[in-house]
Amino acid sequence: MQSEAVLTHPGEKKLNYLTNGTTLKSWLLTKDHKRIAIMYLISVSVFFMIGGMFAATIRLELLTPASDLLETGSYNKVFTEHGIMMIFFFLIPSIPAVIGNFILPIMIGAKDLALPRINLLSLYIYWIAGGLALYALMVGGVDTGWTFYTPYSTTFSNSYVMLVGLAIFINGFSSILTGLNFIVTIHTMRAPGMTWFRLPLFVWAHYAVSLVMVLGTPVVAITVLLLAVERFAHVGIFDPSIGGDPILFQHMFWFYSHPAVYIMVLPGMGVVSELISNFSRKKIFGYEFIAFSSIAIAVFGFLVWGHHLFVSGQSMYAGMVFSFLTMVVAVPSAIKMFNWTATLYKGSVSFDTPMLYALGFMGLFLIGGLTGLFLGAMGLAVHLSETYFVVAHFHYVMVGGQVIAYLGGIHYWWPKMTGKMYSEFWGKISAMLVFVGFNLTFFPQFILGYLGMPRRYAAYPPEFQVLNIFSTAGASVLGIGMLLPVIYLVHSLIWGKTAGDNPWMHPGLEWRTSSPPPTENFEKTPVVTWEAYEFGEESGLDLEEARRRDLVTVT
Amino acid sequence: MSAHASDKFVYHEPGLQHQFDDMGQQEESVGIGMWFFLAQEIMFFGGLFTAYLVYRSKFPMAFAAGSNHLDAFWGGFNTLVLIVSSLTMALTVFYAQKSNRSAQIVLIILTMIFGATFLGVKAIEYTDKYNHGLIPVAGWNKRAPADPAAAHGEAKPCWEVAHGEEHKYVNPRGEFIWTDCSLVKQAQDHNYLTESERNGYFSSGQIDGNKFRDKVRIFYYLYFVMTGLHALHMVVGLFLMAWLLWTAWKGYYTAEYYMPVEMSGLYWHFVDIVWIFLFPLLYLLGRHFMH
Amino acid sequence: MQTTSWVPIFPEQASSFAWQVDLLYFYLIAVSVAFTIPIVVAVVVFALKYRETEKYATPEEMHGSMVLETVWSIIPFVISMTIFLGGAIVYFQQYTPPDDAMEVYVVGKQWMWKMQHETGQREINELHVPLNRTIKLIMTTEDVIHDFGLPEFRTKMDVVPGRYTYMWFNATKPGKYHIFCQEYCGLNHSGMGGWVYVMEQRDFDNWLSGNVSGLTPVEEGRDLFTNKLGCASCHAGGPAQRGAKLENVFNTDVKLVGGGTVKADENYVRNSILNPASQIVDGYQPIMPTFKGQVTEEQVNALVAYIKSLSPNAAASTTSTTSPPPAANNTGTSANKADRGKATAPGSNPNTPANK
Repeated sequence: MQSEAVLTHPGEKKLNYLTNGTTLKSWLLTKDHKRIAIMYLISVSVFFMIGGMFAATIRLELLTPASDLLETGSYNKVFTEHGIMMIFFFLIPSIPAVIGNFILPIMIGAKDLALPRINLLSLYIYWIAGGLALYALMVGGVDTGWTFYTPYSTTFSNSYVMLVGLAIFINGFSSILTGLNFIVTIHTMRAPGMTWFRLPLFVWAHYAVSLVMVLGTPVVAITVLLLAVERFAHVGIFDPSIGGDPILFQHMFWFYSHPAVYIMVLPGMGVVSELISNFSRKKIFGYEFIAFSSIAIAVFGFLVWGHHLFVSGQSMYAGMVFSFLTMVVAVPSAIKMFNWTATLYKGSVSFDTPMLYALGFMGLFLIGGLTGLFLGAMGLAVHLSETYFVVAHFHYVMVGGQVIAYLGGIHYWWPKMTGKMYSEFWGKISAMLVFVGFNLTFFPQFILGYLGMPRRYAAYPPEFQVLNIFSTAGASVLGIGMLLPVIYLVHSLIWGKTAGDNPWMHPGLEWRTSSPPPTENFEKTPVVTWEAYEFGEESGLDLEEARRRDLVTVT
Repeated sequence: MSAHASDKFVYHEPGLQHQFDDMGQQEESVGIGMWFFLAQEIMFFGGLFTAYLVYRSKFPMAFAAGSNHLDAFWGGFNTLVLIVSSLTMALTVFYAQKSNRSAQIVLIILTMIFGATFLGVKAIEYTDKYNHGLIPVAGWNKRAPADPAAAHGEAKPCWEVAHGEEHKYVNPRGEFIWTDCSLVKQAQDHNYLTESERNGYFSSGQIDGNKFRDKVRIFYYLYFVMTGLHALHMVVGLFLMAWLLWTAWKGYYTAEYYMPVEMSGLYWHFVDIVWIFLFPLLYLLGRHFMH
Repeated sequence: MQTTSWVPIFPEQASSFAWQVDLLYFYLIAVSVAFTIPIVVAVVVFALKYRETEKYATPEEMHGSMVLETVWSIIPFVISMTIFLGGAIVYFQQYTPPDDAMEVYVVGKQWMWKMQHETGQREINELHVPLNRTIKLIMTTEDVIHDFGLPEFRTKMDVVPGRYTYMWFNATKPGKYHIFCQEYCGLNHSGMGGWVYVMEQRDFDNWLSGNVSGLTPVEEGRDLFTNKLGCASCHAGGPAQRGAKLENVFNTDVKLVGGGTVKADENYVRNSILNPASQIVDGYQPIMPTFKGQVTEEQVNALVAYIKSLSPNAAASTTSTTSPPPAANNTGTSANKADRGKATAPGSNPNTPANK
């Protein structure tokens, strides 16, 4: 059943989650998962822009072979902070804390997450950690690389390692609590009739991601804690001059940080499953396979951390085990790729902005994932380690994958979250600019990497300059593509057309309530009697009515 | 799973949060939440146990030497204290299920007394370490300048120091002190040093007391971090118990609603179990070497 | 050695296993293309062919296909296993040095590389190696983790404090190749590079014994005189120089402190370098330090040749500069000393009168 849109009849104003309480206190002390999601949206966007400014600085410096724009010491801080801001304060929270928090409970027909105060605590912890990281930035920053390898970080670096380490430690708990909340919610808060295999794949992806968040993050927390103690007290287990082992740090660090990359990409895959399916108006092909492949990636992702240690002096035989497992973890992602492609077959494909992002994800994640195989093959990994090939690979999966999926999700659920529709024209332009700019930026880096250009270099040999110039040129296109949505999305908040409850005519439960939804999500708890991704009338979609009215603003 | 549509006018049980349809859902949710929280706590301590594992397998003699200097009596006493506190905690849950308010209160107070005892004993132990120069951070031990008037003969090499021999405690800068490497000699004579130890304790073919001391220092570092983190969890547990005491006093917990007691109990048992692992790994190493 | 193209696209193959790494790379590119093209084509074709014609259409229901799922699970798995095997084989080659390797010690430190050959030769940020020889590097670091990266040889290895790590290569092409530090190590990480010089065996031997390959003895001598050994600071300093003038001196008679005269031939020059205190030129102080132990025989030859060249009008020498040198302190038993005549016996007190 569909509620009326907001502000239809004066005197009959229905409250939605945005208008239900307008004081600052009602926002800062809210238990409403939707408000928490919006506050996360603003916060992660701020960190994304800060990280993006660092990225722009890096690319500008790398226009010339010499370290002329920045001193090497400053450059070292810039790339470190680009990594820390982007990974810990943008990528890891992004989809789960923004889209997951907002949409997941509605998708399963619940009134809220299972533990709303824990959700609010998670937000507070994120703000404290983010504030601390920003403070560290302002007093001088950190220059160890986001990987904090010892003994440089424990003994040699003259930067604010402990402060930033503390920020990351605190931030970890935000992640853990979000994951905990999702697991409980998915287990216990599903609406009547919403069985496990009727869940949207977005939910499956978030279940898998939550397992990783809850079980993996504590390990990096303890590692960073030990690092901080060692730096402070000059006693510990990572610095060889006091008896420690720097390789132990690398093992403990990567034990989390590899699963962390799956924390980053799995939610993106969940969004893409939604977008591909919905914009082909067809149930995803191989639903169970995609659902289980998410779980498989989460589990196997814990077993491959040693592929970051191939040239560290790790034993050859350990290297072989990790390489084998790395190949195994690639297979579930391949399965997803094929299933998404098959979903398009005999569908009814429309090219709205979210779909463009989803198709972009498919192309870019394909390249990113395949180049992961290059790096998992040990013989090649030796040559490619710590070169720009690695940089290109992880940007393809993290930006070409996760960020593009995030943008696609934001555009898709924007009308639901805000009740407004953005300009489809500008949406399409941005999507194409991002796709083109991204490839121009990062594809040359594969070539640079094979040539041997090392990463984290402020100055490089002159023969690498031309490719670096291509890369920076691409980055400017990418930057514009990323900035445009900020403008037109904010514009839509004030001047955008009112979106109806279900502008896309999609069957998900989130589209069965008003846009924006009321605080309790549904006026009446839905009862689910149809399978996932039912686009016909059996799921209760009133397609005839929609065709007649066609009030929606989709092009 | 509830199957009825929620309605504003339905009666809500006391303690039911707004997002839940009924207590069953709430209790299931809280239960799953607490179990997963404990799972991540295991991963948290797991990192420390991993580090312990790596270093113990590399330097077993240093770990045995360090462990021997810990007082197994107090460690054992603390183990007993915590096990009994788990008993009182379990009984609290039992009496909450029976709506017995006074029994709950008594048992929570007992649990807190045992918890505080545990922390008190830890304070005794840590103070002892402070007094003997066993805190691994330079400057954090009791300072005791050398007495220039005292006669000093030739210092014994560290492997001829018999276990338990009294030394005058001289520590002008409050550093970590370790003078007894007799275990290394013993292991060398009977040929059970590991490869890491063959490199790690020796300089130019001779036992190097400073290098051995550094490895023992790692043992104490892990000891303090692991027991310190555990003690921190105990403190949190005591605050939890204080809250539980207050709410139990107000009579919140009855046969219909005792979930918070059960969840607090889970947390308390978890902290107990971590200690059950810490105790043998830290206190009971290498006792057979000393006779 | 850089490629001659304006923009390099592919690095040179300069080691014996570089082709294997490149083969694996091309295989992976082929696999990637083989997956990318069908998927991209399929996506494009499906998206266009099945584009929305009617708004809110409901396409026919499609059930999954167990066959398809199995096929596209097994095939990628099998291919990924071939990649694993290829990678493992190449990796095993890269880190298993053959026997009979020439060993070089490498020590990284912030922010430089120090190498030492088995024969004692030391280098900083440069590594000279002979062609077609197995070179095994035994490496460590003095401070933080670095990485000795040799892209044209397709190998690298971290250097870790507190232990040794190993790598090897066999250079197959003469030239000059990059050394990069490939593990972030602090302030000057990007400046911590250098060069590997791969030389023919003969040139390498020359280099090892002190001659920079390609220079004539006179050029070599000039380089040593002016740059490397600091002779010029005393002997080419203009009117106030503290050392004896060396121009137009060769094969002339030199007056010594204490009264003797000696012919400034090759042996004289050699003696002046290795045992200067034994024959001070009249009018100068006995302040020249000995260079014994700091120069090889070949370097002494080069210096002699250079000093000879400073006297272009000198009479031809009766001694050959390439004859095996006599014992270092020149006790005067050689037949070459025949024309020393009234010279003091070398090694004797310079203050005793030469003429009895």
